[in-house]
Amino acid sequence: MAKARQLSQQDIEELVERARRGDGAAFGQLVEEYKDKIYNYVSRMLNDPYEAEDVTQEAFLRAYRSLPRFRGASSFHTWLYRIASNLAIDVVRKRKRQEPTYSLDEPMESDDGEYEREIPDDTGSPEDRSTTRETRVAVRRAIMELPEKLRDVMILYELQGETYEDIAEILNVPLGTVKSRLFNARNRLKESLEQLVAAGELEVES
Amino acid sequence: MTCEEVRAELVECWGSTEQLTTAATEHLAICENCRYEARILRGTSVMLHSLPSESAPEGFTAGVLQQIAREQAQRGWTARLGQWFVPANQTSWTRAAAVGAAIALAVAGGSMWAGRGSLPEGTQQYAGSASGTIAVSTPAATEAELDELLRRHQALQMTQPLADDPGVNLVVYTTK
Ligand SMILES: [Zn+2]
Repeated sequence: MAKARQLSQQDIEELVERARRGDGAAFGQLVEEYKDKIYNYVSRMLNDPYEAEDVTQEAFLRAYRSLPRFRGASSFHTWLYRIASNLAIDVVRKRKRQEPTYSLDEPMESDDGEYEREIPDDTGSPEDRSTTRETRVAVRRAIMELPEKLRDVMILYELQGETYEDIAEILNVPLGTVKSRLFNARNRLKESLEQLVAAGELEVES
Repeated sequence: MTCEEVRAELVECWGSTEQLTTAATEHLAICENCRYEARILRGTSVMLHSLPSESAPEGFTAGVLQQIAREQAQRGWTARLGQWFVPANQTSWTRAAAVGAAIALAVAGGSMWAGRGSLPEGTQQYAGSASGTIAVSTPAATEAELDELLRRHQALQMTQPLADDPGVNLVVYTTK
């Protein structure tokens, strides 16, 4: 899980206010606070660490440029997510235009099938099938196979821990749409991973 | 309860049988297919949530702040140049063209002035250090002059803003 937030809501609001008046150091603190969260989100959306870095940086730059227009109607974190989401979706759509037959087998992972920036696997025994490399690659691929609208909701809810309400605000869609997209995304993911799960010795308790 | 209804419920709770309604639980007891479905959902959930989080790369925050500083510095001098070359009542595209032209001429001037020990009298320095190697002229450009500058700009194919190159000093030189 991403690093827990260390600043209170009030701290954030004060930093946003200072940053809005051009205080670079205050904005730096906001970047520190949210960079891992936003990077992880974008990285899951794009499955490419370098593009993820670019998009995450651009999201913060846009946020900084748009701060004078940020009125605090939405919380800073949903606002930031919305900027990142729009940028990530742009990249996804550009990829589709450029490569209509975009292959998921292609350059998404480095030679050994993992991101170079992968956090070391410290979850214990190699027998723990749920954390093997093969499984992670398969899960990433299954996520990438989701249409971007389902992928977005899936990542925000399941991996980023956002609430239905916040997701509705981030994506600017009704609550019901968030729920139905999540339902469809789970179904699709289950279908993609069914064989792997069924074949696995994975011990799944209810 | 139909299999379809039970499966919808299973998806909602990732196949966890503890959270099911009594009717769904009773259905599971007699329906092997739905039990299988529940098992696959649980396994999918475990796999999905086992994905490790990724962190932004080293130096990320510094990179963002640096980029902000760079953009602000650039906006500073391009705005000044734009105002300097074209009266404020000109259209924005004319002003933009003037800035591009100024950059181009700065480079052309750079080769002219490079090697000279000192800059001519009346030189105004807008950015960069005192060892300036680049000069730009024409404080009050007419449309025709701007066109000419723009042509040079295109001929030079200058697309890199100077502010992005710390090795280049931009100096604005005023002719009488
Ligand atoms: Zn059934």
